[in-house]
Amino acid sequence: MLSALATILKDNWEWRKQIGRLALFELVKKSRGAVLSWAWFFIKPAMYIFCFWFALDVGLRTGSGMTEAGGPPYILWLCAGLIPWFFMQDMLGSGVDVMHRYPYLVNKIKFPLSGISTIFTGATMIVQLMLMVVLFVIYFVCGQAPDIYLVQVPILLVLMFVFWDMVSILFSQLSAVSKDVANLMHAMSTPFFWLSGVIFDVKSIPVDWIQVILYFNPITFFASAFRDAFYDKAWFWEDPLMLGGFAVVFVITLVLMAIVYKKLHEEVADVL
Amino acid sequence: MSSNAQGAQGKADGKLSDARDLHKTSVSDEVVIRFDGVTKTYNLYKNDRGRFLGIFNYKKKGVFLGSVDASKDLSFEIKKGEAVAFLGRNGAGKSTTLKMVTGVTTPTSGTVEVKGRVSALLELTAGFDMQLTGRENINLRGQILGLTKAEIAEIEPAVIDFAELGLYIDQPMRTYSSGMKARLGFAFAVAIDPEILVVDEALSVGDRTFQKKCIARIREIMMDENVTVLFVTHTSSVAKEFCSRGIVLDQGTKVFDGGIEDATAYYEANY
Repeated sequence: MLSALATILKDNWEWRKQIGRLALFELVKKSRGAVLSWAWFFIKPAMYIFCFWFALDVGLRTGSGMTEAGGPPYILWLCAGLIPWFFMQDMLGSGVDVMHRYPYLVNKIKFPLSGISTIFTGATMIVQLMLMVVLFVIYFVCGQAPDIYLVQVPILLVLMFVFWDMVSILFSQLSAVSKDVANLMHAMSTPFFWLSGVIFDVKSIPVDWIQVILYFNPITFFASAFRDAFYDKAWFWEDPLMLGGFAVVFVITLVLMAIVYKKLHEEVADVL
Repeated sequence: MSSNAQGAQGKADGKLSDARDLHKTSVSDEVVIRFDGVTKTYNLYKNDRGRFLGIFNYKKKGVFLGSVDASKDLSFEIKKGEAVAFLGRNGAGKSTTLKMVTGVTTPTSGTVEVKGRVSALLELTAGFDMQLTGRENINLRGQILGLTKAEIAEIEPAVIDFAELGLYIDQPMRTYSSGMKARLGFAFAVAIDPEILVVDEALSVGDRTFQKKCIARIREIMMDENVTVLFVTHTSSVAKEFCSRGIVLDQGTKVFDGGIEDATAYYEANY
């Protein structure tokens, strides 16, 4: 199992240049054929944020009600959770089935399988970084001052990259062998979103055991951690339950990824 | 093979005697490709569900149909600068062997050692991203092979010129005809100065003029004594024209290995 892990790390390191350039090509491809090209990376998230803001704050009136008077506005709370979700949404959608996205890298050209996931994760992360810049703009427009808690942001971005790259390596190989896995993950995207802390605060749920379960959803961890940095002004490791839940999921993913890689990486090219 | 290609071969036959003089003679002692007891087994299942269960070593009768050995205990060495033809009927394991040389498939057991940059003319139209333009695809492929920006800039005009794509080079590849894709694939594969060139029935590209150009280019590459060429074909005349050594495969095993004349004679007598 350790050897599989070493191979994945070695492959990604040795091919880092190609992976980086291919990630840029992925973005070129995404923005191709549209007049507004790069603007679409922002328009879709902006629509999403507007709709949630409208539904929650204007429609259901739950939004601003929960913010303290004089505190940072609700829109910042919403954005701090939704913007990381856009990254995770892409990873749960296309990211868990990258082999079918780049079949020529699998069985026409020699390329490390785990690197294909890193290409996609890298491309998605570049978009995420652009959105993070927007989030910082919103942060300052809302009248917030820079402080030490924002140091968590780069750490969380790295953690998010590593974790979702592992998820992508794990599930892409299974998806290549069985269409069911890809479909299952796509179907799970909705529950992963609604049963996480992206649009509500997990701590506000009165039943303890539900809270515990939700903390095992990695999306809860990332949404809450980014909110700690931007809104709640706390450290993400301060909540042992939240950190513990994520640590368990992280380790399980790591182990499963190594096992699946060892078992499948030679077979994937033959079955795709 | 298309009738088009056979036309070209008929023409090539006429020039066979010239071609033989052009065979390179110098072959170094350095082994660049070594197959040692290579077996490639494909497990076949009734459906994808069975395959999925097969991952967990769950092989129920009726779902697991059996295994096919595409290559069986295959051992050979190819030295630097050799031009080797792989002969054999459909399903003899030629393409599987070449795939293992290019590294896109791994053997089930045994070892495959390959030294040097491999350029493959396997399926010429495959391996391109249809959303990107021809020029971008040249860049993309070059980058995957690890060429530097300067190297790519150097080969780019040569590829575009060879592929005769004209203005289409900056159009998305999904708008290309199959001939255009194949021409670009061929042009790229021969432009990167490969150390090992793998040709799988790729000479049936384009019209007669283009075919001539391809054959001339392959010969030019083969004359370079540092380039090793692997050639797959069903047609003896093509093999004789380009190669000095022949390996005959049958159902995954090597049945003959020797000079090209003897190999083609053996192949024609037995199959």
